[in-house]
Amino acid sequence: MPRTLMLAALLAGAAHAEPLTVFAAASLTDAFTELGRAFDARTGHRTTFQFAGSQTLRAQLEGGARADVIASANAAQYDPLVRAGLVEPARTFARNRLILIAPRRSARVQTLADLARPGVRLVLADRSVPVGDYARRMLSAIDASGTYGRDFSARVLRNVVSEEPNVRQVALKVQLGEADAAVVYATDLTPALKGSVRAVALPSRFNQTATYPLGAVRNAGAPNAARQFVQYVLSPDGQRILRKWGFLSPQ
Amino acid sequence: MTGRSAPPAVLLAFAALLTVFLLLPTAVLLLRGLTPAFLPALASPAVLDALRVSLSTTLCTLAVTLLFGTPVAYLLARHRFPGRALLDTTLDLPVVLPPVVAGVALLLTFGRQGLLGAPLTLAGISVAFSPLAVVLAQLFTSAPFYIRAAKIGFSAIDRDIEAAALIDGATRRRAFRHVTWPLAFPFLLEGLVLAWARALGEFGATILFAGSLQGRTRTITLSIYAALESDLAPALVLSAVMVIVAFTLLLVVRLVTARRQDTDHA
Repeated sequence: MPRTLMLAALLAGAAHAEPLTVFAAASLTDAFTELGRAFDARTGHRTTFQFAGSQTLRAQLEGGARADVIASANAAQYDPLVRAGLVEPARTFARNRLILIAPRRSARVQTLADLARPGVRLVLADRSVPVGDYARRMLSAIDASGTYGRDFSARVLRNVVSEEPNVRQVALKVQLGEADAAVVYATDLTPALKGSVRAVALPSRFNQTATYPLGAVRNAGAPNAARQFVQYVLSPDGQRILRKWGFLSPQ
Repeated sequence: MTGRSAPPAVLLAFAALLTVFLLLPTAVLLLRGLTPAFLPALASPAVLDALRVSLSTTLCTLAVTLLFGTPVAYLLARHRFPGRALLDTTLDLPVVLPPVVAGVALLLTFGRQGLLGAPLTLAGISVAFSPLAVVLAQLFTSAPFYIRAAKIGFSAIDRDIEAAALIDGATRRRAFRHVTWPLAFPFLLEGLVLAWARALGEFGATILFAGSLQGRTRTITLSIYAALESDLAPALVLSAVMVIVAFTLLLVVRLVTARRQDTDHA
């Protein structure tokens, strides 16, 4: 009898297990990979992720890509999807801050002001990528303050050698030592990166706060699992994993 | 002799299906790209920059390919030496290697932290993120196409004609310039056109090794990729341009091949 019950429970579990596809901003790669494993272990669903720049994910969803959940690194790439009726209204699940990173072996960039020095090779994300947008907002804020001169951002932008398609590609260029500095999220300084990259302090009055919206895709293939995933991300367990990877709480 | 009779309907049906599959997306792309907004979009800085970067880098790539590829192809076609098979295989490797792997390899070799990074930096040369990196990425992925075609060209020439020229008192150099080169030329041109098409379409190695910066390293393909995520119009215009260029290049190859076969049979 207990055996039959166990079998029934297993079958019921299997019947509810759904393959779940989550589109997530590249900066969420490590945190969501761990979060997804914990979610699968608890629910029995099979979650697969596609990590890319939020603007890529948005373009793909608009192009008809199948996904169940989308997590973006800014509202600018998420809200148009809501207006187009493609995804549910957003739930904010995390926040992030910018940092400046430089190769550990190079001393060329020690402070924020060094970014404007001629010959410094800076890599940013493209302006359509959330972190690229936040980085340019930060430069505008610095210009407005006048601390480093009104033309600071113009001088910095002259040093940009590449505008990359997502934040992990930006970080990679510093990790490989090809760039002297880059603007990424605080969470991108992962344990894997800390060996080769050091953080350069950014004055907090210029720093920008990235806000991450999340929601289920309308007409999702796995609507139940999608809803459960959104709830899990917002739950204390999900939040604990996000904090572990350096994300700030939504409020 | 088969092929003179009317082709079977089933073969025609397969051919038609495959043709529609290939033509339909291309036609849709052209229809979306070639709107009245085509010319204004073509004149936009992003599109002009991409065209300029692609044109200048691919022309450099072609020049280097011609300069170094021709002797190598001649060597492989005309001489037997130890390690020839190895050299032949190595030169073909980029044809089957994924371009992004080529990008990693180039970065680990010519990057600042790469194998040759320190001496290059001392010499004041910084390769990554420069138009030079775009050229190297294109060279790596496209030169084998030229070398293959040129090798076939040099092998196809009747050695007796060259021998006759030498007997008539021509020096080796003059025999090459006036006999070998003209006879091989259609093959070389075909190889060059194929290499150019491949260089124009290069994406994976370029974005990894050269980065993507408008007006400097952002080629047509990188520009299409970047534009797709913000403003569709330039992406469609550049895509339409690529379709037209690709078709023209293929047409040139066909015409060259046709001329070559005519002269072969003459």
